[in-house]
Amino acid sequence: MKATKIFDQGHQWYMFGRDPEKPEGIIDTNQYMVVAGNRALLMDPGGIEVFAPMLGAILHHANVDQITDLFASHQDPDIISSLGLWDQALPNAKLHAPWIWEGFIRHFGMNNIQYVAIPDEGHNISLGSVDFELIPAHYLHASGNFNVYDRKAKILMSGDIGAALESSESPLFVEDFNKHIPKMKMFHQRWMPSNRAKNDWVNRVRELDIEYMAPQHGRIFKGDDVKRFLDWFEALDVGIAVQSEAF
Amino acid sequence: MGYVNLCNVITDFADTTSILYIKQKNLAMTTTHTQQTESKFVALASIAAELYSVMTVAWGVSLAAKNAKVISAQSGEKGRGFQPITEFIDEIAQLAMTGVNEINNEALQLTKIAVTEYRNIDAYHRFDSVREKNSKAQYIKSMTPAMKQVEQNMQLSTKIFKKSLSNLTQLLETMDEYMLSARAIASVSRIVTSNAQEYSNQLKVVADDLDQAASYIKDKLSESYQHLNNVKMQTH
Repeated sequence: MKATKIFDQGHQWYMFGRDPEKPEGIIDTNQYMVVAGNRALLMDPGGIEVFAPMLGAILHHANVDQITDLFASHQDPDIISSLGLWDQALPNAKLHAPWIWEGFIRHFGMNNIQYVAIPDEGHNISLGSVDFELIPAHYLHASGNFNVYDRKAKILMSGDIGAALESSESPLFVEDFNKHIPKMKMFHQRWMPSNRAKNDWVNRVRELDIEYMAPQHGRIFKGDDVKRFLDWFEALDVGIAVQSEAF
Repeated sequence: MGYVNLCNVITDFADTTSILYIKQKNLAMTTTHTQQTESKFVALASIAAELYSVMTVAWGVSLAAKNAKVISAQSGEKGRGFQPITEFIDEIAQLAMTGVNEINNEALQLTKIAVTEYRNIDAYHRFDSVREKNSKAQYIKSMTPAMKQVEQNMQLSTKIFKKSLSNLTQLLETMDEYMLSARAIASVSRIVTSNAQEYSNQLKVVADDLDQAASYIKDKLSESYQHLNNVKMQTH
């Protein structure tokens, strides 16, 4: 699994993904880790199948004891089905995840890790020297869903928002926004159910100062492409599968 | 027929049928070679499923035994020989019901242990793969305590699984012995009922019911052995 440092000013952001050994038939995912001093936060740590390459990649950059916090944006298996294994690797860690999914996520196996239920309005995760704001993104796509915003690094880990379905060899960053649209369009129209929720999220996120928008699938948006994405997403009609003409 | 004679008949019958029992077990082991694809989880769940119907059968026998008690009491001197046998039949039916409950509980427990064991073994292999493929990673040594813990968990769950497997085997064997006794009692009952004159037909029905029930339960036990052998073949 490839590890790329995307930010390094006092604390570090790493992106893990583009695994050449990923088993066929499972969706490619991006995992993120922030290291701040002697603590680290793992975001959307991934499914069971990526656990070993993910842990192996982490160990080049951090000690397992540093990982004190995990974050799951929602309950999907590609997000957090590796929980039962992390539970054995990091018995003293905390998992921050939407309150609404606690009873569901525990099905992945959690005997040691502490579940910290995120209220609907969100809360902050502190790694001591850095605080992370959990931004509500409900219905985008899960009914309980959060993004992670790092005000210092100006990075928004946006979960499935901004995701694109493409090969695991694709570049890490969006290079030409217009050419990237076809890779995102169906994903957002089909997986995102609510225009109301989408527009509410766009309005709130526009208020944030974002240099990088980092989704859980596909490529990272940087600089002006973040604004381009917000404009494009705002204009997009989502939840299309309820319309008879969609079939 | 006195109690000592009855016991002798039962012992003789049991000696003969135990040979059949061993043959049956060997046959079960041979059959499993063709069923290796059955997973451990399916095999364990199947044991409980096979024996589920036994409960109803055993309950029916118990009811028949109670009925036989009434008949033998009504028949006075003519059914005297049958009275102690009805006690045996009822006792066997009760033992069968208790035994099935115990087997089902143990099989359920074993399934849960098997899931834990599977998870621990899976975790161990995944952790081991991290260690093998990332031996030069800067922080690889930080994995050592977790790796040791996962290894200990794996060993412990395997040990608990084997112990529970042994308990389940023992419970099935005990049940098998009960059924051998039941068939022997049924055989003796037929001899005794022939002296019960006008009540003999009614009592013979009870003896036949017991024999059929024991035979049915033994079939189910035999199928359970096949599943159990599948589990054992997958247990190292």
